[in-house]
Amino acid sequence: MSVLEAKDLTKIYRRGREEIYALKHVDFSVNPGEFVSIIGPSGSGKTALLNVLGCLDTPTSGSLQLNGTETNGMKETDLVKLRRDNIGFVFQQFYLMPTLTARENIELPLLFSKRDGNKSKIDDVLEMVGLADRGDHLPGQLSGGEMQRVAIGRALINDPKIILADEPTGNLDSATSKMIFELFSELNMKGLTLIIVTHNLDLARQAQKMYTLRDGQIVSCEDLACVQGRDDLVIQQEVVRA
Amino acid sequence: MNFLSLAIKNLLRRRGRTLLTVMGVAIAISVLFSLLSLNSGYQKQLDKEMNSLGANVLAVPKGCPYEAASLIIHGGVIPKFLSESDLQKIRNISGVELATPMLMEQFIKKNSITGKDEPHIALGINIDEYKQLKPWWGVQGRFFTNNETDVKLIGRALADKENITVGFVMPAGPFKGFTTVGVLNRTGDQDDNFHFVPLAEAQRVFNKTGLITTIAIKVKDVNQISEVSAEMEKIPDVQAVTMTQVMGTVMNLAGSAESLLMTVIAIALIISAFGIINTLLMSVNERTKEFGMMKAIGASGLDIGKTVMAETLFITVIGGVIGTVGAIVGSSLIEGYVKGVLPYTPRGSLIALSPELIAFCLVFSVVLGLICGIYHAFKSSRLTPMEAIRGGIE
Repeated sequence: MSVLEAKDLTKIYRRGREEIYALKHVDFSVNPGEFVSIIGPSGSGKTALLNVLGCLDTPTSGSLQLNGTETNGMKETDLVKLRRDNIGFVFQQFYLMPTLTARENIELPLLFSKRDGNKSKIDDVLEMVGLADRGDHLPGQLSGGEMQRVAIGRALINDPKIILADEPTGNLDSATSKMIFELFSELNMKGLTLIIVTHNLDLARQAQKMYTLRDGQIVSCEDLACVQGRDDLVIQQEVVRA
Repeated sequence: MNFLSLAIKNLLRRRGRTLLTVMGVAIAISVLFSLLSLNSGYQKQLDKEMNSLGANVLAVPKGCPYEAASLIIHGGVIPKFLSESDLQKIRNISGVELATPMLMEQFIKKNSITGKDEPHIALGINIDEYKQLKPWWGVQGRFFTNNETDVKLIGRALADKENITVGFVMPAGPFKGFTTVGVLNRTGDQDDNFHFVPLAEAQRVFNKTGLITTIAIKVKDVNQISEVSAEMEKIPDVQAVTMTQVMGTVMNLAGSAESLLMTVIAIALIISAFGIINTLLMSVNERTKEFGMMKAIGASGLDIGKTVMAETLFITVIGGVIGTVGAIVGSSLIEGYVKGVLPYTPRGSLIALSPELIAFCLVFSVVLGLICGIYHAFKSSRLTPMEAIRGGIE
């Protein structure tokens, strides 16, 4: 069963009398443990799709099932719960709280989910994102890559089933971008489902499936799982971990 | 981490603005606290002052009865007098338990320490009757007798101020050569600042033989005050003023000043409230993207509202505490100002501090916070994540 399944999604934004079709009859599904990338030119509807998939925005029409639950017509309070239990978000701008340390930023979702925020769990997440020794630093004292790692840690703390990332490397240099993608690949190998919107084709090709959007429509879906480069990368990462 | 610590950290992000808002609240609460404590203190002190006179009714010369009564209570000179025969007539009224004459005069005397000329109040009294009027009087040294000459008593504050002890002989002034036979124990009222001499001596020194400024009357039954007053007013030249009337007049005068102060405090509170609302509005508008992020990572509308509310309450509670403590610490300054503004103020401390008043001011600051924060908390909690991430609220 798909962890996320969208059928005939349409999203229209209205600006005065003008109607802007951000998404046009999009069908989209993701299986558990899949690593999916979405690419496309600016204005193609990538972020709109990600926001609808993440229940941050509601589609104008169509249906979206998250973990078998139909989200269409759900109240905001129920959507909050659904998001909290299933989805972790990573944004291009990081959106870290500047007065909270890396550790506290990671801990923040636990305040809202009222889950037990024991220290060891936060330590584990810090370790996982490679910031074990930077937990007490404020965002202003961290590099862009480190801030994005904190944001990824924050997305992971509630044990989500899916991570949605919107241009997670958009503000980072290429070396740091590569490291962030490696982190995503590692998380995926641990069984986490990932959907990533990006402009960076090289990075997008590291996913198992790559969707291309243009003018609000999916124009192609490439299965990259068997591509040689991808296999090489997986083997390389497994060697590194061993 | 909890919502309060999150709120505090958010507020510390804009320290200057937070501090200014807190000070705005502190000033408003400080004014509120001062006025309320003054109001209750004023009434208490006035009650005490009226009671310390020991009399239920004053007989004053016809004219401006309330002004005369106020002058007599506080110490002052009125240019009209009653006579010994008026005193006898009052004593003959049934219902009068005690009627004692007083001659009050003002004189200028050099301060023995600073050398500056200062106004003093001397009261000629019948000591035996006066002690019945004021049974709480105690003395260091002794009381004079009515027939003694060249003797006087002085109030404790006056003795302390001029460093006068029992046995001191006045070197100059109208009471030159008078020996201080006793210093009254502190009473906490106007008596602390007066000179007391036998009535005959006061009449001799001030050349007012047979004249009386006022007669203090104690009635047998307080329910008969109005009947006794009516009888007294049948005597030509005598006007009866009851303590209740004096108090009512003074409270009316103070009431007008109080209305003015109430207006000031209302304006201060409104300005402060708008300051808080403005600060929060700016703070909320600046952080819509942050609220969007918070919703995306699992915050409900209620969680966002709680964060905004916690920030508001933190500002107002801290402001309330600073304002209340500031008002207590600066109460003497405020009192000095008010004494200068009000037409009549009793002696002694006008500021009455009570735990209830402190609690009221703190609760008021919380309520102020709730009123100011509720709109922003509601508005920000209603944002959908995408609205927040994309733009802002108006």
